[in-house]
Amino acid sequence: MSKKVVVPGDLVSAERKRLGSNVFVSDGKVYSKVLGISDDEGEVASVVALEGKYNPQVQDTIVGVVGRVVFAGYGININSYTESFMPKSSFREELKVGDIIVATINYVNELKEADLEYAKKMYGGEIIEVTPVRTPRLIGKNGSMLELIRRGTGTEIIIGKNGRVWTRGGNIPLLKKVVKFIEENSYKSNLTNTIEAFFGVLPPEAGAAKDKKGTTEESEVMDQAQENEESDRFNTTEGE
Amino acid sequence: MKMGKHGSEVVADYSKDKKRMDGRKGMDELRPIKIKVGVIPNADGSAYLEWGQNKVYAAVYGPREALPKHSQNPYKSVIKVSYRMATFSVPERKQPRPNRRDSEISKVLGEALQKAVFVENFPNTEISVFVEVVDANAGSRVACLTAASCALADAGIPMRDLVAATGTGKAFNEIVLDLNKDEEDAPDAVDIPLGILPQTGEIVLLQMDGVITKEEFNKALQMGIKGCKDIYKIQKSALKAKYELEELKLDSAKKAIKEEGPSQAGEEKAAKPEKAEKAEKTTKKEDKAKKVKK
Amino acid sequence: MRNTVLEYEVTKTVELARLGKRTDGRGLEEMREFTVEINKYENAEGSARVLLGKTEVAAGVKIEVGKPYPDSPDEGAISIGAELLPLAHSEYEAGPPSMDEIEIARVVDRGLRESKSIDFSKLCIKEGEAILVAYMDFYAINSDGNMFDAGSIAGLVSLMNSKLPKVDEKNRIVKHEYTGKLQMTKQPLLSTFVKIGGKIMVDPTYLEEKAAEARFSVASTEDGKLCAMQKGMGGSFTVDEVNYMIETGIKVAKETRKKLAKFL
Repeated sequence: MSKKVVVPGDLVSAERKRLGSNVFVSDGKVYSKVLGISDDEGEVASVVALEGKYNPQVQDTIVGVVGRVVFAGYGININSYTESFMPKSSFREELKVGDIIVATINYVNELKEADLEYAKKMYGGEIIEVTPVRTPRLIGKNGSMLELIRRGTGTEIIIGKNGRVWTRGGNIPLLKKVVKFIEENSYKSNLTNTIEAFFGVLPPEAGAAKDKKGTTEESEVMDQAQENEESDRFNTTEGE
Repeated sequence: MKMGKHGSEVVADYSKDKKRMDGRKGMDELRPIKIKVGVIPNADGSAYLEWGQNKVYAAVYGPREALPKHSQNPYKSVIKVSYRMATFSVPERKQPRPNRRDSEISKVLGEALQKAVFVENFPNTEISVFVEVVDANAGSRVACLTAASCALADAGIPMRDLVAATGTGKAFNEIVLDLNKDEEDAPDAVDIPLGILPQTGEIVLLQMDGVITKEEFNKALQMGIKGCKDIYKIQKSALKAKYELEELKLDSAKKAIKEEGPSQAGEEKAAKPEKAEKAEKTTKKEDKAKKVKK
Repeated sequence: MRNTVLEYEVTKTVELARLGKRTDGRGLEEMREFTVEINKYENAEGSARVLLGKTEVAAGVKIEVGKPYPDSPDEGAISIGAELLPLAHSEYEAGPPSMDEIEIARVVDRGLRESKSIDFSKLCIKEGEAILVAYMDFYAINSDGNMFDAGSIAGLVSLMNSKLPKVDEKNRIVKHEYTGKLQMTKQPLLSTFVKIGGKIMVDPTYLEEKAAEARFSVASTEDGKLCAMQKGMGGSFTVDEVNYMIETGIKVAKETRKKLAKFL
């Protein structure tokens, strides 16, 4: 396993490889652009950032907050470099400052201004803020982590790639603690198993598949393949 | 009694004394340096640095929209450094209003960071870097630059390299690294603030005052570059200090989350299955999303 | 934008306040935990670093020789300054002092000065000619509300731990030589309150300040006397509310003094 904590300018791979996220090439070698965890196993050299603002990407789901209301529409705070504008016609109802919406990014220009579509207002609930670059870990492979924490806390959850988690109902205090734990330990190994073990045996849901077997000790060997697959999910940008 | 540069009375001859006024044995020895990052919760990135008696804070806000609009650059982010000193940071109280020295240092520090940061990635934005000196004893500007570069990395801003900086020069007949205040006041003092990109050795900050020969300058420069590389190691450890690549255990999770136990999902059916599926669909959609290259 | 206060947070804060609750779970008369570090800044004659909740303040004292005011030729002086550094919050800007900064400095100043706890005649070097002036400046390093009380604590601790420099026959400061500490006979402290949703609470966080309709600070000394007051923001208080805040302010300041005892 060749995961290391790297700072900007640290060497990620001495050989030419396909470029993943947050790396650059100089003199035939690959270096990290950010403070993060490097991975040069396989054919791709990449770094998962540990810190950083949200970089809007097309097709990302985001949780936005109405920051301004003007005649023609709304200035939506998406927790990035600039706000996004949405015309009033995008919504069935009138919004006011402070309203929470969930939307999808459908276009980003070279100034990182993002256009939104499929927006809908969320009623009630609250927002948990997390470091944007760590949201993929909250979602997990195919949404597995999201599912786990949703069932474990009985809450409704929508995770915005822009570092905002909208939640309503259920055990929100527990959810906040779990989210904080996952965020702070996002780069460590055995995270999925640990969270699974924490929630233990979850009662079956209507229509859900089998029970997950809870473990009380982490005597399981870490599933390297699963970890690697999950870490691929971190990549939100391709070789910039 | 030799009169010092600024009228103080300091006497020493390092070529004879073999040790420096503050007790350092090596002419190429740095004063002790300690760095802690992430110390200002409101900032996007921050660092607190102690270097000998120097104590400085650095905070980064950005990249954020550059205002006023006419200061925006459509091709890159503008790095703005504001260097200030607290009134009580120096032996004779400093006036609260910024002076010309503060402006000049702000300018050269901002320029030193330009090459390191991938400013092209954030057009129309500004990266604000605020450094505040709360205690000073020679070398506050290089301490600030060193701290600022850690704060930028802590903010997750992409960079080619960190920037490591130190003072170097001459005092009391010897080429010395990291002059302290007494050495800066030596009659033959030459002070050379130096900042480099440690991976390539490129120089991004270089100033000098005093009288020195070309050979002496080059000796001081080489000593300074080596000093910067040592400082780089300290910067790296400070940044990495928060992150331990360990394997998580259930106990740590229980302790951190304080075992409130999973909610009885059976009882608290907060979400109707249909809404829950929508949440799932949302995540599945983004997992399968193709990332479109700009 | 991590610290942009979102409107819905303000609404929540007001809703909780109406029920007598606070977002961080504190009681209405409860101050946040605080820590103090003294005399860390070596160039200052006295200094203190205070962490009140997440609000961090660095304060330092420089004592210089000055000329006395014509109407008080045998009295030294103090001068208080404050800066809300842009380091501390994305909303603070670099530039000339803002009205908020000036108000905070002046309220902390009055809290200290009007308590009459400094014997200014002890700061006189030569009547009519030379006095010692103690300049206390405090800087916001991270702002999570209530710079008033954080500044007041930092100011008090740094002044009480300040060394008085020795002065030579030409009225110049002799470096590295001191003639004792600055003496204060009383320990004035500010207590600051806000009114949210009709409820009054002490030691507001940044979010609580944003959700508040009115603010009130009162400085008191250990004998229960009041030495300064300031009402701020656009809302209003009833007479009963003011008296409640005065009573509570005296109480809270007493508790703070107990915790500060080892530093004073």
